[in-house]
Amino acid sequence: MSNMHPVVRWFHQLGSPPYFDRFAARWAPWAFAAGLATMAVGLYGALFVVPPDYQQGDSFRILYIHVPSAWMSLAMFALMAVYGAIALIWRIKLCEILAMACAPIGAAFTAITLATGSIWGKPMWGTWWDWDPRLTSQLVLLFLYFGVIGLYAAIEDRRAGARAASLLAIVGVVMLPIIRYSVVWWNSLHQGQTIRVFGESSMDASMLPPLIWMVVGTKFWAIGSLLARARADNLAREAGKDWVRRLAGGGAA
Amino acid sequence: MSYLAYVVAAYAVFAAVLLWDFVAPRIRIAQVLRAARLLARREAARGQAREQELKR
Repeated sequence: MSNMHPVVRWFHQLGSPPYFDRFAARWAPWAFAAGLATMAVGLYGALFVVPPDYQQGDSFRILYIHVPSAWMSLAMFALMAVYGAIALIWRIKLCEILAMACAPIGAAFTAITLATGSIWGKPMWGTWWDWDPRLTSQLVLLFLYFGVIGLYAAIEDRRAGARAASLLAIVGVVMLPIIRYSVVWWNSLHQGQTIRVFGESSMDASMLPPLIWMVVGTKFWAIGSLLARARADNLAREAGKDWVRRLAGGGAA
Repeated sequence: MSYLAYVVAAYAVFAAVLLWDFVAPRIRIAQVLRAARLLARREAARGQAREQELKR
């Protein structure tokens, strides 16, 4: 261990359940606080600074929560699959825990995406729902998240459950390009890509800053949630161990 | 503000789901730690009972 690179050594330490517990307990509140502060700036801009859209009026303000949530719904799935792949290949317990912690967070952001899109769609499209390729593929993503959560919960052996659910997460990655390109491949009611990371966005520059704040804020939030959820699962898996009893205040048996 | 009810409803959904996301792991952590505490207490009580039994 002594001649190990400090980053590698830290990574090995992080794999120790008590060390990870301390790490997550320490940093999750900071990530949540950073997420809240960043989102507060974004929400203020989205609701009070940006002028109403000339066609959609104020309903377009829903975009500032809908788009960052939609991006998070895809990003969390990709992250879950990466952790899942690492867990399957190298059998790293912490990666199993992190992969499984991604699922409820991603499901939450997917649910927000669907609900806020539906609420926006009612006045703009005249309907709460349409079996449009983008909407339908996003709904399938939500079911895939439920599948991962359900599979993990259904198998009694936590490690076997995590590995089975990780495999589903990896297979489910096929949905990500389908969702991303659904507005290009099919004639969709959903609008095409408006905001581009590379190249010019078709959204006016004055409307962008709150969106950037929200995108960054949801990332911080997700980090906080990932640490908190992974900590909970880590504690549950280690429930019988002395360090958990000491932490719980029950003393070492 | 036009479409106020829709904007409020959408932001309320966002806030409610994030609140759940914040609270759910906290409840789980509290449950696990409580269970660990109770288990430790039960085992300690059992150990004491066994000691008294041996003394008799």
